[in-house]
Amino acid sequence: MFYRLSGVHHASYMSDSRLYKIPADRNLALFFLALGLAAPFLFGSLYLNSYVLPWLVWTAAALGLNMVTGWAGQLHLGYAAVMAVGAYSAVHAAKFGVPWEFALLIGGISASVIGSLFAFAALRVKGLYLALTTLAMQFVMDWVLTHSPTISGGSHASLQAPTFALLGQKITSDTGLYYVAFGWCLLVTIFMLNLRRTGLGRALVAVREKDYAAAVLGVNSFYYKFVAFATSSFIGGVSGAILVATFFFLAAPEQFSVAVSIQALAMIIVGGLGSIIGTYFGVALILLMPSIVNGIVAGGASTLGLKLNVESLAHIPNAVYGALIIIILMIEPLGLGKLYGNIRDYLILWPFDQLKK
Amino acid sequence: MAECRHSLTITGETVASILMRNASQHGADVAMREKERGIWKATTWAEYAEQVLACAAGLNGLGVKKGDAVLILGDNRVRLYCGMVALATLGVYAMPAYPGTTLEELQHFVDEAKIVAALAEDQEQVDKILELRGAGAAQLKYIVYDDGRGLGFYEAPGLMSWEHLIEIGSHCLNDAPGLRDDLLGRAKPDDPAVFLHSSGTTGKPKGVVLSQKNVLAAARNGHAAGAFDFGEEVLAYLPMAWVGDYAITVAAALLLRFTVNVPERQETVLRDMREIAPTFYLAAPRSWDNVLTAIQVSIENSTPLKKHLYHFFMDRAIAAERRKLDGMSGGALESLGRFIGEMLIFGPIKDQFGMSRVKNGFTGGEAIGEDTFVFYRALGIKLRQLYGQTENSAINAIQANDEIRLHTVGKAAPGVEVTIADNGEILLRADSVFAGYYDDPNASAKALAGGWLHTGDAGYLENDGHLVVLGRVSEVMHTKSGERYVPNYIENRLKFSPYIKDAAVIGAGRDELTAMVCIDFDAVGHWAERNGVPYVSYADLSQREEVAVLLRQAFLRVNNSLSEPLQLKRFVSLHKEFDPDDGEITRTRKLRRTVVEERYQKVIAALYDGSRKVHVSAIVTYETGDRGTVDRTLPIREV
Repeated sequence: MFYRLSGVHHASYMSDSRLYKIPADRNLALFFLALGLAAPFLFGSLYLNSYVLPWLVWTAAALGLNMVTGWAGQLHLGYAAVMAVGAYSAVHAAKFGVPWEFALLIGGISASVIGSLFAFAALRVKGLYLALTTLAMQFVMDWVLTHSPTISGGSHASLQAPTFALLGQKITSDTGLYYVAFGWCLLVTIFMLNLRRTGLGRALVAVREKDYAAAVLGVNSFYYKFVAFATSSFIGGVSGAILVATFFFLAAPEQFSVAVSIQALAMIIVGGLGSIIGTYFGVALILLMPSIVNGIVAGGASTLGLKLNVESLAHIPNAVYGALIIIILMIEPLGLGKLYGNIRDYLILWPFDQLKK
Repeated sequence: MAECRHSLTITGETVASILMRNASQHGADVAMREKERGIWKATTWAEYAEQVLACAAGLNGLGVKKGDAVLILGDNRVRLYCGMVALATLGVYAMPAYPGTTLEELQHFVDEAKIVAALAEDQEQVDKILELRGAGAAQLKYIVYDDGRGLGFYEAPGLMSWEHLIEIGSHCLNDAPGLRDDLLGRAKPDDPAVFLHSSGTTGKPKGVVLSQKNVLAAARNGHAAGAFDFGEEVLAYLPMAWVGDYAITVAAALLLRFTVNVPERQETVLRDMREIAPTFYLAAPRSWDNVLTAIQVSIENSTPLKKHLYHFFMDRAIAAERRKLDGMSGGALESLGRFIGEMLIFGPIKDQFGMSRVKNGFTGGEAIGEDTFVFYRALGIKLRQLYGQTENSAINAIQANDEIRLHTVGKAAPGVEVTIADNGEILLRADSVFAGYYDDPNASAKALAGGWLHTGDAGYLENDGHLVVLGRVSEVMHTKSGERYVPNYIENRLKFSPYIKDAAVIGAGRDELTAMVCIDFDAVGHWAERNGVPYVSYADLSQREEVAVLLRQAFLRVNNSLSEPLQLKRFVSLHKEFDPDDGEITRTRKLRRTVVEERYQKVIAALYDGSRKVHVSAIVTYETGDRGTVDRTLPIREV
């Protein structure tokens, strides 16, 4: 209905590989970009910093995971460990006096190096065995963090991050921190959008579909899996560092525990493997839904005058939230991104059901 | 538009001089686009002019000269258009033929004029020309092809690629500095632009030579009448041998600098149309009917919600359009309905079919069914009627945007004089009228008697100058009781049903009217699938009892709008479609009534002698040229 395709033609292959070929898609993207830029003026600082900001940083992180799992098809259960490496190395570098710009870079690179080192070992196996190997990485990292006070920040195992600064300017305001998160998320999104139409992106997809079929076509599957691990670790590392610098303000081992890894995986599975818009939706659902459901249940109970004990109040939201995920995956196993795609297809074909050739 | 309309004086101008003017004044603007592997490759006016010049020089170098004719054979291609313009530059007859033309029909062209060369699209057409040459057309010395696929190992004398011809031409132009001006000055306004053939619903097609003055005058008159404006986007999908294609994609496109878009292949026209979204769109009633059928079938397949919405808005829009045509205006509620309908239904449908930018939509070539016409007007496409023939360069009378009436084709365009002969025949006089049939002084004298073109159409002028076309003079028929009717009119109403592709109404000199119809295989086949009606072939499906019920509904609907003595009483659903290869319809899909009535005389006899069924054995010409017979028993059905 809203998608008008007539008059869209391409006079060159450059134009044919444009990001948004349909005006409605481009307008929608521009609308959300404008919304993102205007968010500090639209939302109160509570909403901005406790909902929108973590959502954006987690989306950037989840996009990194989606690259290795959704695009290259390699199950990764140790993503939080990679983020931890990034976060701790960046904070340590910043404490040491390195400007934050470089500290973030150091965080990303060290995460990338450690992630790749594991990938070297892990990529010798495939499928579930690979998943287990990455899980091992998660446990090793947990153990290192809890058992080395120099890294984790002494007896309390918490490491205060120095005040965030860019280009020598200290950033302390809510708006400033928001724009840092927004900028990073935008950067990663643009990278991922473009990945789809590059040789690298196509090679990753080939590897995902069948790695030895890709090898027959001349795609070095080990190399591309390795690149996927390295790149996604870099994105994860920087995201972890930004998460600590703009949201948590201190780094602690439980922020990057195995549960967080599972949560990140849940984000991209609910959102849709290999879908960018889906990642946004998935992160929103996993990250924000619990508190929203909480609010609804608590509010509902008080308006209806139900006297629920504290334990039920704590458990009902969890049950609802779990059910929600199951229902979504039952309706569309390919995730929220596919659900969005279905709605888009429906509107593109409207008022017909299929096109007569 | 900044340009004022009367600035279009074209005295003394030729096709080539206008092309050169465009190339020098608007050289960087896009003149043509051709889709190749999904990409629209653009040709600017400067490149267009260079191609034309090089081609003209090349042909000149090969010895093609005034008085010769060159066959153009293939689907629409940028290079074939360049070739046509190059031939006009040389003053040579460019003779386009339908891509599906059979060898016999080509043979007729060869006998008619001195064809020395051919411009072919691809291997298929080259094969045809080689065969033609083998059959004795030895004067056909050169064959130039556009698409070389499959032609690598051909070793026929005189066979060359377009690139090779251009290379020859470029060499000639480089070697002789004066050649360029010589070529450009060669053709005069009275020299031929194109050599077409009249559609030939009766007898052999006659050769019609339109001069450069004719076609340019037609374009100018059309512009003055508001048919098109400067810089329209058009889709070149009409057969190149149809006068409408030449008038729009060559003559008007040159004069008014259109951007002509050539689709990738015939099969991709629908998709390419959507990608281009032309602003000017001329189609034969048949194509409008086809799109209408596609819309109706697609809606039938849609979900109940969408179907319901469609019918809600469409029915109201059609009723509103009919009221408007009757001169009544609707209320505010009607405009609101239109607005919401446009957002929800009409806009998306137009978008799906690439018609969302059509400012000037035209139907021409034959009469359009009233229901089809109203449907498109209701959809929000400002469809208008255009009246013209091959003999007068297609553009004569045009409906103005605010003067749409169902039964008229509008006023004569400025520069065109219309009058009615005593016998009711429409007579025309204009610069766009040809000088006579090729090599046929008798027919020419008859057609141009008294300085007026005798169109062969019956009609009359209304008091305010609107022309009403009733049908061919030869086609106005009378039943035994003297009731006058035009079979074409009734046939078009029948064809509004998506299930009827072709129809032939019979009844001249008889007590009552009957009809033979051909079902639309796609639409009826689809309907059968959805309704669980089994069938194995066209012949089988067309005779099914369930299909007869469908057809009967269409007949009853048409009968409702006909007066009692003209109502259709019986019909036969034919076991095969009318096919241009069998000569039953022309390549533009007009009915050849005499052929049909002769071929199906047994069926027609059965329609009137009270029998319940009729046995037929029809002759079928296969694409290989072989002939076979099909035996069938067809039931006669009461309406």
